[in-house]
Amino acid sequence: MDKTREKMKRMLEEKEVSAILALRRNHGHPTPFLFTKAEELKDWVADEANRYPLTKLLIKIARKHQSDVIGIIVRGCEERSLVELLKNFQLRQGKVKAIGIACSQELANRCRCDQPFPSQVEEGQVAKPATDFSDLEEIEKLTEEDRFQYWMSQFGKCIKCYGCRNICPACFCPTCTLEDANLIKPGGMPPEIPIFHLHKAYHMADRCIDCGLCEEACPMGIPVRRLYRRVKKSVKDLFGYIPGEKEDEKGPLEFLGDGSYELPGAGK
Amino acid sequence: MTNSTPELEDADCILITGSNTTEAHPLVASRIFKAKEKGAKLIVIDPRRTQIARYADLFVRQQLGTDVAWINGLMHIILREGWENKEFISTRTEGFEELKKEVQNYPPEKVEEITGISKGDLRTIAETYAKAKKGTIVYAMGITQHITGTENVLSLANLAMLTGNIGRLSTGVNPLRGQNNVQGACDMGGLPNVYTGYQSVADEAVAKKFEEAWKVPLSRKPGLTIMEMFQAIEEEKVKALYIMGENPMVSDPDLHHVEKVLKKLDLLVVQDIFMTETAKLAHVILPGVSFAEKDGTFSATDRRVQRVRKAIEPLGEAKPDHEIICQLAQRMGGIDFQYDSVEEIFREIAQVTPIYQGITYQRIEEDGIQWPCRTPEDQGTLFLHKDQFSKGKGSFFPIPYRQPAEQIDQEFPFWLTTGRIGFHYHTRTMTGVSPSLQKEAEEGYIEINPFDASELGIEEGEAIKVTSRRGEIQIKAKLTFGVGRHVVFIPFHFVEGAANILTNTAIDPVAKIPEFKVGAVRVEKVEERMNA
Repeated sequence: MDKTREKMKRMLEEKEVSAILALRRNHGHPTPFLFTKAEELKDWVADEANRYPLTKLLIKIARKHQSDVIGIIVRGCEERSLVELLKNFQLRQGKVKAIGIACSQELANRCRCDQPFPSQVEEGQVAKPATDFSDLEEIEKLTEEDRFQYWMSQFGKCIKCYGCRNICPACFCPTCTLEDANLIKPGGMPPEIPIFHLHKAYHMADRCIDCGLCEEACPMGIPVRRLYRRVKKSVKDLFGYIPGEKEDEKGPLEFLGDGSYELPGAGK
Repeated sequence: MTNSTPELEDADCILITGSNTTEAHPLVASRIFKAKEKGAKLIVIDPRRTQIARYADLFVRQQLGTDVAWINGLMHIILREGWENKEFISTRTEGFEELKKEVQNYPPEKVEEITGISKGDLRTIAETYAKAKKGTIVYAMGITQHITGTENVLSLANLAMLTGNIGRLSTGVNPLRGQNNVQGACDMGGLPNVYTGYQSVADEAVAKKFEEAWKVPLSRKPGLTIMEMFQAIEEEKVKALYIMGENPMVSDPDLHHVEKVLKKLDLLVVQDIFMTETAKLAHVILPGVSFAEKDGTFSATDRRVQRVRKAIEPLGEAKPDHEIICQLAQRMGGIDFQYDSVEEIFREIAQVTPIYQGITYQRIEEDGIQWPCRTPEDQGTLFLHKDQFSKGKGSFFPIPYRQPAEQIDQEFPFWLTTGRIGFHYHTRTMTGVSPSLQKEAEEGYIEINPFDASELGIEEGEAIKVTSRRGEIQIKAKLTFGVGRHVVFIPFHFVEGAANILTNTAIDPVAKIPEFKVGAVRVEKVEERMNA
């Protein structure tokens, strides 16, 4: 990753960006870090075993430093999430500089990722798409009753930690449906099922960039990605829309929203 | 835990009792779900149908406080059917004949009568656990918070030894410790009878060692447990109390009594990060710091010693606990209470604590190590009791069943049990100030069986009166089949309608733990006010 590190260094030194959000090795573990000095980059890592929702962290940082241009290291999925965040005015056009890195074939396979690379990479070979929807095919083979039982049993494990939402780089509304007492009763372990999970799924339909962080984060092993892949597929089949693909294309379900999640400070 | 949390994943039979695992120990629950998905049999024995009980192959309710009876009953069946592990018993244990004689007295019919668990279910549980290749027992406060807490734990140990389900991967007897560092607090001698690493204060050799290390004379007499301290305050033998990070004004049984006792003190010092109900009664409050403001180690439930690192400097006047203690000690003349860093303190711990001896900050820089770890080469211990028990052979303890301290009667016809919910932590000192957690669970409630509620004319959400021999509270009713007939459950976290106004102070004679899990109460509608 020497070429990428050189590029990051150059960007910081030439003040092309004020800072770069990436991972740093910290006591043996990779953690998100905002690099502001070139010499700090010796600790930069592109760890594959531990993924973080860097683009989501960027929202907070960018809101605090509105006049700064901030760099960010992105994989394929993270670049797609940037597209969603820019499209939805969570980040400002021109205030974010993405630096692409390629995923290894191993990671691509593990993630069953059909686009394991961003639009540009500094170095290395890009992995082949590992398109694999066998998880959906498997469950769609079940009868409706069995399918329902399967999901209810999975949802029943939920401890309402909101981890799937909190880690999601496409979830950003300041007020969240999942916490609306009129829709979903507060408390409960499990929460009200299946409505808790279906609400989230519905909201993911034209936003999910299929990064799989939600499923990695779920402490109870609920296969939430499987659910979001299904609704994402419906939106693709019905509207031909793929979240994270084109910045100038609005999500087809957006007409339902009143745009209230367009936060102050974000600009069109 | 005798074994490690990740090992649970590979067990083929998991017996959970007295643990609401998903809510109180979710990461342990996650391993259990994985084991279940790999085909493990899951048995849950609990008065409440907890979240994880819905995933059990067999879930049964025992009558409150009858654990020794059902465990003896299982051993009775195992011995009668010849399902015991004869090799393990003969090579690794002693006292088998005495145990055998005692459990003869617990035929299934009798056990069914005492515990309410049917003969058939008892047999299924006995067979599933005894025949498992890797059977593991997971328990929490539902086993320990009884006047028979120690006996309950010994009985589970009997069961594990009888079937050879100990000393191997994915087996064992696994108490789930509550907070992130309860294990560490005990490891550090935060108990009245031991120094660090469970070295007895009454042991002459141990005492000499510490006298040499600290260059002070030390008492050979164990100190007092919490409940004994309260007793001593009442008898005016204790005049000053220094409480760190505890909130007995919510967490201890019979709160009216706790308040009376604390107010009797000449000096009450409370060290905490927030103004707790207990701190409000203090003469001196010492502001401590949160986890994010201090360096040191935490020891997890599976004996894993791990680093915690300061993320921000202490806020306001607050100081890390060790600094407060050292400054106090210095002012009392303890000139040796001077350390340049927490690492220096840790080096001292390792020096005087055999089970920590091989651990250094350098070795746990990236990942933790599980004690015992006795030398710099020792990789730590995944599971205990591998080839022998710490005392050599494992002793069976014949244990007769004893009834809980309080029984239901005409005046107090409901069994009360208390516990936790997932959104709050103990007395809510920390979680109560988190808006997102508070929003999920704003107030307490009492779980009551809908049939009982209907007989009493109680509706969902209605405020009802609950009375015990200690006191009375008003609390909202929550109708649920999660509790059986004539059993009510109250989470103890809340100050308003505090469950511990009702609970019994009867204690286990050995561990001195109060019987939070069994009490007798009366449940009534609140009388409607007459119009003026």
